[in-house]
Amino acid sequence: MWLSVYNFLIGVALFVAGGVAAIFSREKSRGKIFFLFAAAGQFFVLPGVVGTLLNGGQLEMPLYFSGPIGTAFLRLDPLASIFALVISVGALLASVYSIGYMKMYKGDRASLSSYYFFLGLMSASMLLVVTAQNAILFLIVWEVMSMSSFFLVGFENKKEDVRKAAIYYFVAMQVGAAFLIAAFGWISAVSGSLDFNSFSPFLSNSGDVSILLFILFFLGFGTKAGFVPMHTWLPRAHPAAPTGVSALMSGVMIKTGIYGIMRILLLAKIPDYRIVYGILFVSLITGVYGVMNAIAQHDIKRLLAYHSIENIGIIGMGIGVGMLGLVYNSPMIAMLGFLGALLHVVNHFTFKSVLFYGSGVVYSQTHTRDIDKLGGLSKYLPLTSLMFLIASLAITGLPFFNGFVSEFAMYLGFVKSFSSNTLSMSVAALLGLSGLAFIGAMALLCFTKVYGICFLGLPRTEFHSIPNEKEMTLLIPMGVLVIVMLAIGLFPWLGIELLRNVVMQFLPAGSLDQFEAVIPVFRTMSVVLAGFLGLFGFFFGLRTYLLRKREVAVFKTWDCGYQVGSSRLQYTSSSFAQPFLRLVAELVPQRIKVEKEPVLFPETASLESHTQDLSERFILKPVIRSLDNFLNMFSWIQSGKMQQYIIYGLIFLVFLLIWIFGVR
Amino acid sequence: MMAVVIVLALMTVSPFFFIGLINKVKAVWAGRKGAPLLQPYYDFFRLLKKGEVISGTTSIVFKIAPSVNISAVLFALLIVPIPLIGSVINFQGDFVLFAYALGLAKFFTVAAALDTGSSFEGMGASREVTYSTIVEPAFFVVIGSLALLTHQISFDSIFAAVNFSTHYTALIKILLVASLFIMLLAEGSRVPVDDPNTHLELTMIHEVMILDYSGPDLAFIQYAAALKMTIISILIADLLVPSYLGLLPTLAVLAFIMALVFLSVGIVESLIARSRISHIPQFLFLMTTLSLTAFAVIAFFLFGVIG
Repeated sequence: MWLSVYNFLIGVALFVAGGVAAIFSREKSRGKIFFLFAAAGQFFVLPGVVGTLLNGGQLEMPLYFSGPIGTAFLRLDPLASIFALVISVGALLASVYSIGYMKMYKGDRASLSSYYFFLGLMSASMLLVVTAQNAILFLIVWEVMSMSSFFLVGFENKKEDVRKAAIYYFVAMQVGAAFLIAAFGWISAVSGSLDFNSFSPFLSNSGDVSILLFILFFLGFGTKAGFVPMHTWLPRAHPAAPTGVSALMSGVMIKTGIYGIMRILLLAKIPDYRIVYGILFVSLITGVYGVMNAIAQHDIKRLLAYHSIENIGIIGMGIGVGMLGLVYNSPMIAMLGFLGALLHVVNHFTFKSVLFYGSGVVYSQTHTRDIDKLGGLSKYLPLTSLMFLIASLAITGLPFFNGFVSEFAMYLGFVKSFSSNTLSMSVAALLGLSGLAFIGAMALLCFTKVYGICFLGLPRTEFHSIPNEKEMTLLIPMGVLVIVMLAIGLFPWLGIELLRNVVMQFLPAGSLDQFEAVIPVFRTMSVVLAGFLGLFGFFFGLRTYLLRKREVAVFKTWDCGYQVGSSRLQYTSSSFAQPFLRLVAELVPQRIKVEKEPVLFPETASLESHTQDLSERFILKPVIRSLDNFLNMFSWIQSGKMQQYIIYGLIFLVFLLIWIFGVR
Repeated sequence: MMAVVIVLALMTVSPFFFIGLINKVKAVWAGRKGAPLLQPYYDFFRLLKKGEVISGTTSIVFKIAPSVNISAVLFALLIVPIPLIGSVINFQGDFVLFAYALGLAKFFTVAAALDTGSSFEGMGASREVTYSTIVEPAFFVVIGSLALLTHQISFDSIFAAVNFSTHYTALIKILLVASLFIMLLAEGSRVPVDDPNTHLELTMIHEVMILDYSGPDLAFIQYAAALKMTIISILIADLLVPSYLGLLPTLAVLAFIMALVFLSVGIVESLIARSRISHIPQFLFLMTTLSLTAFAVIAFFLFGVIG
């Protein structure tokens, strides 16, 4: 009984109920009330989800609607379950975090009650997005998800830049949805049914129609996920939203775009090879472009937003490898690709949420998101600093942490592609291999920058008040996720076993032994990493032992003998990134404005740098401008004159009459 | 088993000898007598016996970084295959772990440099990570080329299989050896990328990042740096040591090639000056070009585009 979609639905309803209950409760207890409902929701959502993940198979339940929807099936298969797991846990953690974080806004009664209402609505709609398998129902819950998150992004709507960001987000989501409506409309028309299962034959025949359909789906879902060049809403919306929401959007919501793409590919079974190379190419560009732009950012949340784009690219590369394996009939490569992609979905949720939560702690204590104004925070916020460090190591993909495991699976998939004896696959593998390494090296640059500049060294500006981390509700969600990160990082096969049934959905029947064959690799890795940890323990022990009775003097940092400089002399994030940005100046153009008095010893000077998003300038703007020009040709229709509108109405009525009496 | 232990033990003690060798070559080339060949060992033990001076600005990151560094590089040594003997740790895709373990060391070295709050160290750190964005992908092109050539997926089996000879293997080996040699200069912070003997902090890369270290921590860092170069020289030797020799001759050839590599480093350092900072990326891109050429040659021959 617990393992049913019915229970799942009760859980979904609890999220909504929590939001409604928060409206009617006292201001102080709103967050806690919502949390209680969200926690209760877990008891209903998780059994079905975990059950499907572990046992495979699928749970389904028909819903009967009148009107155009008709009978709609909610289905909980392993693919839906892994996403539902991330959504459900992510929403719970966001609700815990919000209790402490939203204290910043206390006194703002109306906004706060709407905050929890929309948070509940957003969580519930995301859960329905991954289970609804009826085109119209899917589009409805998809829109509810976009709308509710729009209201959350616009939470601080008294600030102009927040309003602008929210509206930009709104428009981007509607454009994405338009593609989806077109795609679903088309495929429902040809298949004659609204149920996802009936779409399968029209996606899998490798004709040009399936490619066009797939492009429409990819544009729609890709806008939500943040593939380049549809990514431009992320760096605007993520910084504008309250941090709990940023984490939920970046860690969880954009994955519904990935879910959509995977669902379509799953229905397509074996896609056209052109689609596969297309995905690989776009993903590679997305990954490289995302992290390159991240390096140029000063705003910590904007920077993290660009990293979400990068990670979507990495996930896309995993999907690409998986598809490559299917097209060229190599279940092993397919398995590694899908495994990497799905595990990276989970992993990215863990470390990106921690990074956003950490940046929220920093923001709540220092009231700035500008990296160049921060510094030395590890002394004030030791726990936040430690967890931020672990998440930074994980997102860079370094061993001991979960990011390494998923990227390793993709690397392995690429390397195995070399044995395929086809030129195109070998070249794709080389691009993927070196592309992943390039992304990894750039991520290392970016996260040594963020962590080093914000948390290490000395504060670059004076704090308004001494930062502290007394608020436990901000730390608990981070702690939980860090434990998950370490668990997957040190015991990779745990994460892999969890994904077994999801991955098997994508593979041809009877390839379970391929899955079994790869598990020993990850078990070996576990043992090997323990050895690595032992080596580290030995040397750190040796160091401690050697220094135990010796003098360890504490002195100032060596600055070539100059000891009176202020902490503002420290390297800034802009100067740290400068050598790299000069290398890629054509791809990440920066406008630098220097102002100083034209005298020999200027007393004041200032420097500003702005980064332009190249794709926005060269891809989006021209497209929008030409659309604008085209639509302007019809602007005479909307003249603003009442008389003219009445004539339109009359003409319409006349046509209606002709149609009713003449045509029928 | 015995052989593995002995060879590994030799490898772990040899790095400072090779550093001494470079210094000796440079001294002789410049007409000096130079420091004794074993001087780096004396320095190492002297440092181990000392106390430390630590900057008050720093946090725990600064304290653990040298230990992370040395353990990561030693760990990498366990993954690198030694001709005829193989590697202690090998599994599918182990070279990814190899590269990423070194990446972990780099992350901590750079973070520790930023931990001191010194702008000099920030400068070095920034250069270090910038250059690794060029070297890292090129290294994977090297490995990718070899994987394409041999159809193997672990370090050990790739290098065990690389010694078959076709009419174009020699060309590929030259390209890849040159490529790895550039990596050695970059990762080892040698001329023309970086000058370990420079005395101006503004121009340093690796040395400036560790300005605030002293005592055992500094000893760890210097050992790790030397060992990292030794490991890359083993990779170069892996390409060149012939596979048909017995155990002892193989090891002799291995030692000879490694010595030759370090001799070349010394000669390069004697002959050319360090590049301008803005020219270094161009030099490093040479590694990318060379390895991509190797990949193209392999692909052309394998898929019959030419030949």
